Amino acid sequence: MKVWIPLGSVLLLVLALPQLGWPYYTILMLSFFAYATALLGLNLLFGYTGLLSFGHALFLGLGAYTTAWLTSVWGIRSMEVMLLTAMVVAVLVAAPIGALCVRYVTIYFGMLTLAFGMLFYSFLLKFYHLTGGDEGMRVLRPVLLGCDLSGMPKLSFLIGPYYYYAVAVLALATGVMWRLVTSPFGLWLKAIRENPVKAAALGVSVRRYRWYAFLISAAYAAVGGALLGPTIGQVDPGLTYWTQSGHLVFMTLLGGFGYFLGPLLGALVFIYLQDALMTMFPYWRLVFGAMLAVLVLLAPEGLLGLLTGRLGRKTVRVAVS
Amino acid sequence: MGDDEKGKQAMQTTRRDLLKGVGAMAVGGGLLGMPAVLRAQARTGVPAAPVKIGILAIQSGVGAPVGAAGLRGAEWWTARVNAAGGILGRQVELVVEEESSPKETVERFRKLALQTKVEVISGGISTAVGLALGPVAEELAMLWLSWDATTQKGVEETMPTPQWSFRSVDNEAEAIGGAILTAKHFPEMKTIAGLNNDYSYGRDCWDAFQAALKHFLPDVKPVLDLWPKLGVTDFTAHIAAIQQAKPDLLMTSFWSADTTIFLKQAAAVGLFNTMKGCFTTGGGVHDSLKKSFTPEGLILGYNSMYFHDAQASPLLKAFVRDYRAKYNEYPPYECDHAYFTLEAYKAAVEKAYQAANEWPTQAQVAKALEGMEVESLSGTRSYREDHIMMCNFFQGITTHKNDFDFVTIDPVEVLPTTRITKPPGSKLYDWIRSWT
Amino acid sequence: MLTHAINILLSGIFHAAILFLVAAGLQLVFGVQRIFNLACGSFYALGAYTGVSAVNAFIRLGLPHELFLLALIGAGVCLALIGPLIEWLLRFVYERDEALQLLFTFALVLMFEDIIRLIWGPSPLSTGSLYLIYGQVTALGVTVPVYNLIVIAAGLVIALLMGAMLARTRFGRIIRATAENREMSAAMGVNLRAVYVKVFTLGTMLGTLGGALVIPATATMSEMGIELIVEAFAVVVIGGLGSMRGALVGALVVGILRAVAISTYPELEMVLMYLIVIGVLVLRPQGLFGEPAV
Repeated sequence: MKVWIPLGSVLLLVLALPQLGWPYYTILMLSFFAYATALLGLNLLFGYTGLLSFGHALFLGLGAYTTAWLTSVWGIRSMEVMLLTAMVVAVLVAAPIGALCVRYVTIYFGMLTLAFGMLFYSFLLKFYHLTGGDEGMRVLRPVLLGCDLSGMPKLSFLIGPYYYYAVAVLALATGVMWRLVTSPFGLWLKAIRENPVKAAALGVSVRRYRWYAFLISAAYAAVGGALLGPTIGQVDPGLTYWTQSGHLVFMTLLGGFGYFLGPLLGALVFIYLQDALMTMFPYWRLVFGAMLAVLVLLAPEGLLGLLTGRLGRKTVRVAVS
Repeated sequence: MGDDEKGKQAMQTTRRDLLKGVGAMAVGGGLLGMPAVLRAQARTGVPAAPVKIGILAIQSGVGAPVGAAGLRGAEWWTARVNAAGGILGRQVELVVEEESSPKETVERFRKLALQTKVEVISGGISTAVGLALGPVAEELAMLWLSWDATTQKGVEETMPTPQWSFRSVDNEAEAIGGAILTAKHFPEMKTIAGLNNDYSYGRDCWDAFQAALKHFLPDVKPVLDLWPKLGVTDFTAHIAAIQQAKPDLLMTSFWSADTTIFLKQAAAVGLFNTMKGCFTTGGGVHDSLKKSFTPEGLILGYNSMYFHDAQASPLLKAFVRDYRAKYNEYPPYECDHAYFTLEAYKAAVEKAYQAANEWPTQAQVAKALEGMEVESLSGTRSYREDHIMMCNFFQGITTHKNDFDFVTIDPVEVLPTTRITKPPGSKLYDWIRSWT
Repeated sequence: MLTHAINILLSGIFHAAILFLVAAGLQLVFGVQRIFNLACGSFYALGAYTGVSAVNAFIRLGLPHELFLLALIGAGVCLALIGPLIEWLLRFVYERDEALQLLFTFALVLMFEDIIRLIWGPSPLSTGSLYLIYGQVTALGVTVPVYNLIVIAAGLVIALLMGAMLARTRFGRIIRATAENREMSAAMGVNLRAVYVKVFTLGTMLGTLGGALVIPATATMSEMGIELIVEAFAVVVIGGLGSMRGALVGALVVGILRAVAISTYPELEMVLMYLIVIGVLVLRPQGLFGEPAV
C-alpha cells in the first residue's frame, strides 16, 4: 500500500502536466513515455531473464521507422495500425535474431545484439532509396482512435490528445507487463536466470523461454519507437547506433533493474537530467559518464535500490550459462 | 550569472541615460547633437531587457569544427553589436544549444522556442537536422534562420512555402560552381570520377556536378563513384580504386577533415600527378590544406566566404584579424553564414520597428526578412522572397604563391547565387537543362 | 590488375596493422581479466590526440623532423600510465557481473569523449605533412608511402614480440595460466593483482600506440574512438576472444575485406563486416582461434 501514495501522486502530476503551462516539459514527457515503454521490454530481458542486450535500439528504431514508412510512404495515418504494425514487424525481425542470440549468454549475447544493432544501422544508412539514408524519413501526424485532428495546431496536438494517448499506451503496456512478470511465465524467467540448469531439469525449455522474452521485449521497444516517431517528426538512423542502446541500458540501471518500475524511474531521471545538463554545460557526456560509473561502482541496484534502502548489495543476478 | 548582470547593467544605464536624455531635451529643446547611444536607448515600445537569440551549433562529431566556426562568427557579431548599443538599444544575449542528432536537436529547438522563449533561432548545419527542424519551426511559429542544410528535398518536399523558416543557399550551388570552373579551366576532360560522402549532400553534389558539366562538356563520362561514410579516416583503398579507374578529373564534395586526410594520402602516392581535381567544398578546412601535400592547380571552393579575398571589405579584414588572434586559425565560410543570419535579423527588426513603432513580433520580422539585404563578412547577402539565401560563392585554382603554409586560390572566381542556384519555383535539373 | 591488387592488399594491411594493435590490447585484457573494455577505442583516440601534441611540441623544440616517430612512440608508451589508474577503478567491478563491467567501460567511453574535447577542442588535428617525410617506394607499378610500411613493420614486430613474450617469458606464462584458470593460478602463488595491473597497462599501451601510429596518415576526429570500437569488436569476434593470434588474423580479415569491398562493392562495405561478425558468432562463436565458449 505504501507504494500507492507516491505512485498515485506521480500519476496525478503526469495527468495534470499539460494543463500547467509548461509546453516544453510536457513534450519532453512524450519522449519519456516512448522510452519507458521500450524499457519495460528491455528490463524483461535484462532484469527478469538476465540477458543484457546492447542492440535494443534496433527495435526502437524499427518502431520509429514503421511510423515513418506508414505515414509518409503508404499514407496510413491510424495510430492504432501503426502500433500494431510496429509490434508485428518487431516480432518478425526478432524471431530469427532472438533464436540466434539466446543460444548464448552474457558477453556473447551482448556482442551478438550489438552486431545486429549495427547491422540494422548500416542498412538504414546505406539503402537510402528505401530508408532515406542519413536524412531519415518524415513522420506525419497520426490519427488517434479515428479522430482526424489535423486542424489542430501541432503543438496543441502534441501536448493534448497525443499526450494522453501516450499515457494510455504506457499504462496499458505497464499493466500487461506487470501481469506477465507476476505470472508463471515471469517466475520461470527468474528461475532460468538464477539457475538455468535446475530450470532445465525441471522440464523448462530454457532457450524457448528466453526467446519469448526476447520477442516480447522487441515488441515493447517497437511500440516505444512508434510513440517516438510522431513526436520528433523525422526518424533517422542515429536512433539505432550502438551508443543509443548503451543509453537504454544506462537508463535501466539508473532506475534499478531489479525493480519493476525501476527502468521507468531511470528513463524519467535520465531524460530530465540530460535536458538540464545540455543547456547548462556543453560537456554533459562527462557528467553522465561519471554518473554511470558511480552507479555501477556504488549503487548497482539503481535509484530505487537506494530509495528502498538496499544499498550495497553486491550480488547482481545476471544469467551465467 | 554573468549574462544577467550584464543585462541589469544595461537596464541601469538605460534608466540613467534616459533621465539624462530627458534633461537634455528639456534644456536643449531638440534631439540634434545627442550621442548615438542615447538616441538608441530612449526608444518607445522597446523593452529594456536583453533580446535572447537562440543558437544551435554542432559541438561534437565530424561537424564539430563547422559548428564551432559558426558559433564564433555569431559571438563576434554579438560582441560588436552589443558594443554599439545592441538592437534598438537592447543588448543581445546568445543562448547556445547543441545541434546533434535530429531527435535531440528538435528537442533543443523546442526548448529554445517554448521554455527559454528566444526571439529567433539561428543555426542548423546538417541536412538531416535541417529537414527535421523545418516543420517544427513552422508548427511552433518560431523564426528560424538556418546556417546550412538546404537540400533539394528540403526545399521541394518538406517546406514548399515556409513562413518562419529561412533557408541557407541550395546545397548544390558549390557543385554547379565546380562544374562551371571545370569547364572553364579543364575543358579537355573526358572522364571523371566522384568521391563523395555517402549522404544526401554528397549524392546531390555528384548528381548536380555531372548534370551541370554535361551542359558544357557533353562527352564527359563518369568512370567511378565512391561513397565513403562521413568520418572515414583511411582512404588508401579508395585511392587505389581511383588509380585503377584512371579518370581525367576527380571531383569531391568533402568539406571536413576528410579533405585534409584524403589530400595527404593522395600526395603520398602522387595521385594528382596523373589527374586533375575539383574540391567543391574543401575550403571548409582551408587552413589545414598545407602546401606540402596540396598541389597547385586544383579547383578549390570556399563556399560563401574567402578569407583572403582581394576585394575584402574592412569588415572582413577585421574579422579575419580578430579570428586569427583569438583562435590561431583562419576563418572558414560557416562564420559568415552565422554572421549573416544575425545581421539580417537585426536589420529586419529595425525595419519592422519603423513600421510598427514598437518591438516587432516574430511575424513582422519574418515579413521584413523577405528580400532583406545586408552587408555581411563576405559582401552583400540577402534573403530571397522564397526564404532562400543569396550571396556570392568563391572558387578558384589552388596556388602556393602566398605567405601561408597552406594553399590559397588564384584566380578567384566570384559566382553569384543567381548563376549557380535555381530561381524560385523551378526544379534544379529542369533549370540546368534550360541553360544556354 | 596486379598493381591494383597490390594496392588493395597494402591498404588493407596498413589498416589491419592499426586494428591489430587496438584489438590485441582488447584481447589481452579480456583473456586475463574477462573484461570487454569498450574504452579501448577511447585509448586509441587518446593516443592519437596526444601523439599530435607530442609531435607538434617536438617540432617546436626544433628537433629534427625525421625523428618525429620517436615523439609518437613516446606519447603512445607514456600514455600507458593511465592504465593503472583505470585498472584501479575497474578493480571495484571485478567481482561484479560482466554486464556491469561492460557498462562501466561504457561510462568510460562517455567520459573520455568529453575529456578529449575539453583538452583538445573540436577541430581535427594532424601532424601536417610529416607523413610524407620518409618519401615513397615504387615497385611493380605500385607507389606506397614509406610511413605506411613502417607502420606495417611496427605492427608485425609488435605481434612477434607479443607472441614471443607469451610463449617464452615467465610473464607470458603467467598471463596464459591466469587466462586459462584464474583460481588455479592464484592458488599456485601468482599475484593476481600485480598481473592485472601489468596486463591492463600493456593492453592500454597497445591501444594508445595504435592511435599514435596512425595519426600522421590521417587526422584526429571527434568520436574517432566510438567509431573504432565497432571495428575492433569485429576483429576480436572473428579472431576469437582472448586470442592474440586471433587478433592478428581477425585484423587482417577485416582490414583486407574492407579494402576489397571498397573497390568492388562499396555499398556492401559496412554491411559486410557485420554480416561476417554475425556469421562467425553463429557458426563458430569462439572465433577462429578462441577457446570454445559458452
